[in-house]
Amino acid sequence: MPVSDLLRRLGGAALLTSLATFSNLALAHNPICECKQIEGGQIQCTGGFSDGSGAPGVTLDVIGYDESILVPGKLGEDSKLTFKRPDAEFYVLFDAGPGHVVEIDQADIEAP
Amino acid sequence: MNTATAVQPPSRLRQFWLKWRFHINVLLLLVPLGFMPKYFADVALFRGDVGLGEREVGDIQVGPWSLKLAELRNEAPRLDGAAGYMKSFNASLCEACIPQVKATYLRIGKPRSLRAAGGIFFGSPYRMGATVPVPLKTSPDAELWVTMEGWDGSMHQGSVPLSKASPSTVAWLQKQGGK
Repeated sequence: MPVSDLLRRLGGAALLTSLATFSNLALAHNPICECKQIEGGQIQCTGGFSDGSGAPGVTLDVIGYDESILVPGKLGEDSKLTFKRPDAEFYVLFDAGPGHVVEIDQADIEAP
Repeated sequence: MNTATAVQPPSRLRQFWLKWRFHINVLLLLVPLGFMPKYFADVALFRGDVGLGEREVGDIQVGPWSLKLAELRNEAPRLDGAAGYMKSFNASLCEACIPQVKATYLRIGKPRSLRAAGGIFFGSPYRMGATVPVPLKTSPDAELWVTMEGWDGSMHQGSVPLSKASPSTVAWLQKQGGK
């Protein structure tokens, strides 16, 4: 085999090695959800995944501390959902399926 | 009379270079060799040749069931973009529970409900993996909770102190200073 071919093959092996090293986390797409308070006592939540994809149509429920569902919702085409801040204590659950959830407690929702 | 000036012969170093420059390329073969120990260590880790993970935590009793837990890597949580810092664990179910357990979840702090039970373990029951988010404000004395759901609809929970499950995560949390 000519030396140049050999080198090309070894270069390929080195590339595979580095891909295998750096892809451990890149393969995962962990759910992301961010909520912020906007004007008029409303809360806007944005969902997505850590690989950069959006989450249109994914369930986002607002749940009271007593586990009652205060606002059953689905994210819109822009991966956002806006709802009125409930009076009772609550948390937001972005639910992209079992084990793919993000919880945001009311204490973690920043005021404008 | 000869007026032509003698051509300066190239220096010894230059001669060496001109003669061997092509063959010296073979030294490039050594470059991938430097990456090989890490590559083979990773292959052994992911194949399970070196055990469940880099650091075994031990058995955790979850109601009538149990699982063996291990940290995939004995290191602080890794940042995964906007999802925040994540920590990966591996687990294997006890032989007797394999046919009974439908799903296993992992979460830092006690889950509020089965829906919010945390990250789900996926993979073969003999070697499954889950990744949990580690919020920066996690208390160093927090507990790692395992929730298991049976095919019969039952749910059982068990926990282990985070300091036992992952000392490197607790050390990292203490360094963050409770931000």
